[in-house]
Amino acid sequence: MSGMDALRSDAAKLLRDGAVKMVVGYRARGDQRVPAFLTDPDKADALTYDADCKQNLAAYLRKPEVRRHLPLAIVAPPNVCRSLVLLAAESQLVDGEVKVLAVGNGQYHGVLDVAGVAALLKEKYPDLAPSEELVRKIGELAAMSPERRGAFWMEQFERCTRCYACRAACPGCYCTRCIVEKNVPQWISTAAAPHGNYAWNIIRAFHLAGRCTLCGACEAACPQGLPLMLLNVRVAQDVEEEFGAKAGYDPAAKPVIGSWSPDDDDEYMR
Amino acid sequence: MKVFDANKLNDLAAALAAKGYRVIAPVQDGDVVRLAEWAPGAKIQPGVIPVNSAKDFLLPRSEVIGRYSLDGNDFTPQQVTPEAPKTVLLGVRPCDAMSLAALDTVFNWDYADEFYNARRAATTVVSLACASADDQCFCTSVGGRPDSTAGADAILRPADGAKRFIFDALSEKGQVIAAAAGDLLTEAVATVDAPADVPQRFDARTVTRWLADNFDSPLWKELSLTCLGCGACAYACPACHCFDIQDEATRTQGVRYRNWDTCGLGLFTLHASGHNPRPDQSARWRQRVMHKFCYFPQRFEMLACTGCGRCGRLCQAGLAMAEVCRRIDEASKVAK
Amino acid sequence: MTENVYQPTTMRIASARDEAPDVRTFRLEFTDEAARAKFFEKYRVGMFGLYGLPGAGESTFCVASPPTRTGYVECTFRKTGRVTAALHDREVGQTITYRGPYGNYFPIETWRGRNILFIAGGIALPPMRSVIWNVLDRREEFAKVAIVYGARTVADLVYKHELAEWGQRGDVQLTTTVDPGGETPDWKGKIGFVPTVLKELAPGSENCVAVVCGPPIMIKFTMPVLTDLCFKPADIYTTLENRMKCGIGKCGRCNVGSVYVCKDGPVFTLEQLNKLPQGDL
Repeated sequence: MSGMDALRSDAAKLLRDGAVKMVVGYRARGDQRVPAFLTDPDKADALTYDADCKQNLAAYLRKPEVRRHLPLAIVAPPNVCRSLVLLAAESQLVDGEVKVLAVGNGQYHGVLDVAGVAALLKEKYPDLAPSEELVRKIGELAAMSPERRGAFWMEQFERCTRCYACRAACPGCYCTRCIVEKNVPQWISTAAAPHGNYAWNIIRAFHLAGRCTLCGACEAACPQGLPLMLLNVRVAQDVEEEFGAKAGYDPAAKPVIGSWSPDDDDEYMR
Repeated sequence: MKVFDANKLNDLAAALAAKGYRVIAPVQDGDVVRLAEWAPGAKIQPGVIPVNSAKDFLLPRSEVIGRYSLDGNDFTPQQVTPEAPKTVLLGVRPCDAMSLAALDTVFNWDYADEFYNARRAATTVVSLACASADDQCFCTSVGGRPDSTAGADAILRPADGAKRFIFDALSEKGQVIAAAAGDLLTEAVATVDAPADVPQRFDARTVTRWLADNFDSPLWKELSLTCLGCGACAYACPACHCFDIQDEATRTQGVRYRNWDTCGLGLFTLHASGHNPRPDQSARWRQRVMHKFCYFPQRFEMLACTGCGRCGRLCQAGLAMAEVCRRIDEASKVAK
Repeated sequence: MTENVYQPTTMRIASARDEAPDVRTFRLEFTDEAARAKFFEKYRVGMFGLYGLPGAGESTFCVASPPTRTGYVECTFRKTGRVTAALHDREVGQTITYRGPYGNYFPIETWRGRNILFIAGGIALPPMRSVIWNVLDRREEFAKVAIVYGARTVADLVYKHELAEWGQRGDVQLTTTVDPGGETPDWKGKIGFVPTVLKELAPGSENCVAVVCGPPIMIKFTMPVLTDLCFKPADIYTTLENRMKCGIGKCGRCNVGSVYVCKDGPVFTLEQLNKLPQGDL
């Protein structure tokens, strides 16, 4: 990526100046790309970024052990930038806690704060959209009868082992007690069986309605290769169509599923 | 010796299926190779370690261990029979076969788990010696070898430059498989290929010794910082066996499930009072390593890790047991 | 087909008694005589069981009645979560499930001829109650018996009528206490935390076994008092509790270090406890 040297040098400078206590980025380990937690400015050369970096590092902001190192800097491609804007909109980030080493389109965009990231997204990445391949597949699914579509998803969900890697990888999943961990009552079956898997995956997609920034970290993390983006993108499409909202662009946006207006259509209830 | 052509693996599967075996083999599934039920048309892919382990077929991710009928306030327990179809694990890695010793031990010390045992008794293990290994493999660091026969009823050894397999029956069950293969196996002489080179990455005895003295080491916080607390590693691991028991019921029926569980999740040790002996990820990550390399050996004189490397391959947070052990091995040298 | 080790037996609730807010004792009778006989062949004080209800799950409590009384099994529990709430809602005459007895036991045979000091706090009297009654049912085999029991408030004391019974026996020295502020106007017992009261009483440690059960904070402050009184760690017994599911050493949930609380415990001496990783408790 062009600008990699500048990114490394900025990371080192932020640490040396004490502007941040830690830089959360990516490093290479053989063919793999893994998270890096940098506190020593002299080790900034270990940072890297390329298309193989699939994790959404904003997920680490829910860990108290990482928050101990605030203020920190995060390396963020556009969809991760959107996650940071979302977290700010949901009051999970306080101004100044996080600096962003923004990357995208093979370029390094410099050190930005969350407001700067929102501006960058508006200016350079206003129309972030899922891949054509994904949209086509979703279209195919939508054209199926409910029975066929249901059968497709049951076949996918049969592989789910309920490892919750999808939840762990997602910055939007920061509930201190996830719905699946509540047992009075047990809303969702914890069994890695079709009925439980169906409920878990669908409900997670619903809880991300209007919040998913399409980073794909969940699908990348899934050890069973479940096509989770088919679900999340479909929900995002519906949200955009019905509410005109796209997650992660406006740090002052109200949550789509959490807000209500008297003008909301209630025809579906009649 | 009994040999067969390397391109006849699917034929072997078909022959065994025709004899009533459920054949589980590493098959191509889209982009990955997965241990799954073989069916005609499936392509066995012996060259790539499958993403899941043989454990899936001995300890399923979710199974029913109790049933009740419910009638108002009354309940009537019902019998549950373990599902244990006659199975052959065809072409599992020696690291998977080696982990069976740990599972056999836990499910049989004192109380015998009939669900596990029924499946174990109905299963024949045919290993496949590894011709290749990757960066994450570390069987040789934990007492294993790419051509180990531990836990196997028979082993397939690549031979004559990967053109053939030598079929070595190691037990009665293995001989039954040989017989079932019929004339697919011929008597011939073949030269076994050298097994994969898996360099030693750390000294397991050093790791076990360090662990016994370093419960409070700051290394735990450092190593676990990246862990996001999911169960991907534990569920892919052939030796991990911890589980949860959960009840589900309607007004007329109740089912008691046994589901996989992991010490990596926060709820695992949470008391009803709210006290959690392992309240943060650093404590939970420490437990994972301790259990495999310190506590299990203290108890059962064997490690609960066979070096398959799956954890390292699929952890998105960049954790790998081999790397953790290597760091511990290094730390123990610094201390001296 | 061999036995399904996860299959519980069924017990009927013969009677129920409310001990304290949300704390209830069940007297349970086996519905199957063979199961009852099998239970009492194995049961020794200290062992626990998994009490449950289909649809809700199972919960671990000690057996609160002694093996000298073979007609029934008692347990005392606090309504805290999903399973205990479901059990709490069961009525006399209805059934629950039971698995057990599991675990190890207090080696009371080795205490014959010795003095025994029982120290308990709050809801932790139930595991000790089975030992106390086992000893009292065989009173002549043991030397002096003393009980020190305290709770946060008078209302939180469990087995109140038995406390009265123990207090009136000539062959037991009973001291009850409530935390400062927990007394009622007509409270006649001591006022003070259990470790403090214990220190004041200063029981002799000569030829004496101490059995301690209580919330972690009470244990933490009681152990040093016993050590100061020269009780040997091998003579101090306590029980560990941990989240359990299978109860039979397979699911891995209750591990503390290499120890399985369900198999190597729940009874431990202080000597054994000291060898466990203290940060895993």
